[in-house]
Amino acid sequence: MSDHGYTQGRSHIWTSDTIRDIHAKAELGRYQIRGFSTFRRFPSWDDLVFLPAVMTRLPLEGYREHCETRTVIGGGKPDLVARPLELDIPVYLTSMSFGALGTNAKMALGRGFSRAGSASSTGEGGMLDEERAAATKLIYQMTPSRYGLDLEHLRLADGIEVALGQGAKPGTGGLLLGMKVSEKVAAMRSLPMGVDQRSCVRHPDFLGADDLQVKIEELREATDYQVPIFLKLAACRVEFDVKIAVKTGCDAILLDGTEGATAAAPEYQLDNCGIPLIASIQTARRAIDELGANGKVQLVVSGGIRNGVDIAKCLALGADAVAIGTSALIALGCNSIQYEDDYAKLGTAPGACHHCHTGRCPVGITTQDPELEARLGPDE
Amino acid sequence: MTAISTEPVVLDADDGHRLNRRMRDLVDAGAREITVLNPRSRHNLGVGQHGPCTIRFAGSVGYYCGGLNNGAEIVIERSAGWGLGEAMSAGRIEVGGTCALGTGASMRGGTIVVRGNCGPRTAANMKGGTLIVEGSVGYLAGFMTHRGDLIVCGDAGEALGDSLWAGNIWVAGKIAGLGADAKVTEPSDEESARIHGLLRGEGIDATFDFKHVVAEQKLWYFNARDPEAWLRI
Repeated sequence: MSDHGYTQGRSHIWTSDTIRDIHAKAELGRYQIRGFSTFRRFPSWDDLVFLPAVMTRLPLEGYREHCETRTVIGGGKPDLVARPLELDIPVYLTSMSFGALGTNAKMALGRGFSRAGSASSTGEGGMLDEERAAATKLIYQMTPSRYGLDLEHLRLADGIEVALGQGAKPGTGGLLLGMKVSEKVAAMRSLPMGVDQRSCVRHPDFLGADDLQVKIEELREATDYQVPIFLKLAACRVEFDVKIAVKTGCDAILLDGTEGATAAAPEYQLDNCGIPLIASIQTARRAIDELGANGKVQLVVSGGIRNGVDIAKCLALGADAVAIGTSALIALGCNSIQYEDDYAKLGTAPGACHHCHTGRCPVGITTQDPELEARLGPDE
Repeated sequence: MTAISTEPVVLDADDGHRLNRRMRDLVDAGAREITVLNPRSRHNLGVGQHGPCTIRFAGSVGYYCGGLNNGAEIVIERSAGWGLGEAMSAGRIEVGGTCALGTGASMRGGTIVVRGNCGPRTAANMKGGTLIVEGSVGYLAGFMTHRGDLIVCGDAGEALGDSLWAGNIWVAGKIAGLGADAKVTEPSDEESARIHGLLRGEGIDATFDFKHVVAEQKLWYFNARDPEAWLRI
């Protein structure tokens, strides 16, 4: 006989997770913050399949016939970009800051993507000398806070990315908790050591697309028309955002889906803002094509890309290139089965850790702690 | 490029394709004084310049003049548009008239002197250096200023010093309103002497009684400092 859920607590509104969350927020006096990406279930790349060549087209011989993977970003505007970004593969490392990641992780990623003939990106914390030395091709990310931004570093870059939004937390700026604002991070960001850094989301010197068009010209003037300028957008109002981005005169658009990860974000944002990449790529492609910008403005996409299959699906849907982040960190050892006691101290376990925000990364990737960082050899 | 001359150079912005590049090349070749005629409020003049050189714009300039300056002295005879001297790391910029939004935004070093008023968001995200405004500033001046000194001889608009980091704002006139986490303090004699010294160096009468606006530091930290609190999720 049913007890209407009284004894089993089967309310669909006040679930045990919801109750626990409210209790935590009542104690903390703030929203919940964590790393990684949304836990919400979205349509998956696994829901798409390929239709391989059979009769209408004939397949290439795998590993025998040549398949061109060279990708050029900024190659459609030779009068504005003297050194387009040339990649051997249509995949590069997305922007993850020094601060969110430790020095060894930045170096290891720079070396790894260089070996693959590809590029990496600074993220918002400024250009780390070690990363510049490790990466043969490095994109400089310019966020609204402009940490570490100066002429010298801009001219050292192989591409400049103006960040306008991030898929994990569209509408807000960066977040780096005090545990990770070490002496070195604080110096690069001109911040007091140990503060909980909440960055601004609006750039200080432009407020709209018309101004941004002038700003892009300024960056070209400062760097002497050498490298491509990217705009990074969170996937929200994709059609209109992408069209406006094209009109600013940028060379590439990085569209970041809501599945994109972060080292720290309010959880309500991770799960409730933006739309998935899988629903955004075709819209962005059409927006670029409708403006006649195909081949002049490249579409790069990111957010929740796990493997080569996902990458191929993004390209099939219309992306020119793909930027990856979390999957590269996992390849480095994120969530690997080692140091299990340290996972336990965080209240988690290998395979389930999302505690990048704490700076206590057991495998030494998302930390500024020298002892933890030493667990990740950048040459291994 | 072989050194050509240290004699003053006169350029005409009306002729100016890649004017910034030409000025950089001239400085590398030995030019120490460049005058640019007919700036006509064009955008992106004097961007990415370096010293040692004085670049004088004979008129008004548009957006981002002196942006990313790395050591040049830039003189604008009349007024400037948005983002004057944004992200400059060294050098000096002087504006004879007024400035619009975002003057000195995210500047890291050097000095900017504005003889007239400045619009909103003056010194937003400033990382260092000195920004002196002889007139008044608009709303959100000193927003998230990390380091350095914003010195305002006139009045300040609403939301002054909102979300300040460790920057210092000095206001001689009225403050229409403070931003979140900003507070007014009485400067010490040593601090006042330092600011008056900076003003005297720019030929400004240094008899003002300044209010010193700094961060209250309540936004620097989340309320919960217990490390365990970060593991509740």
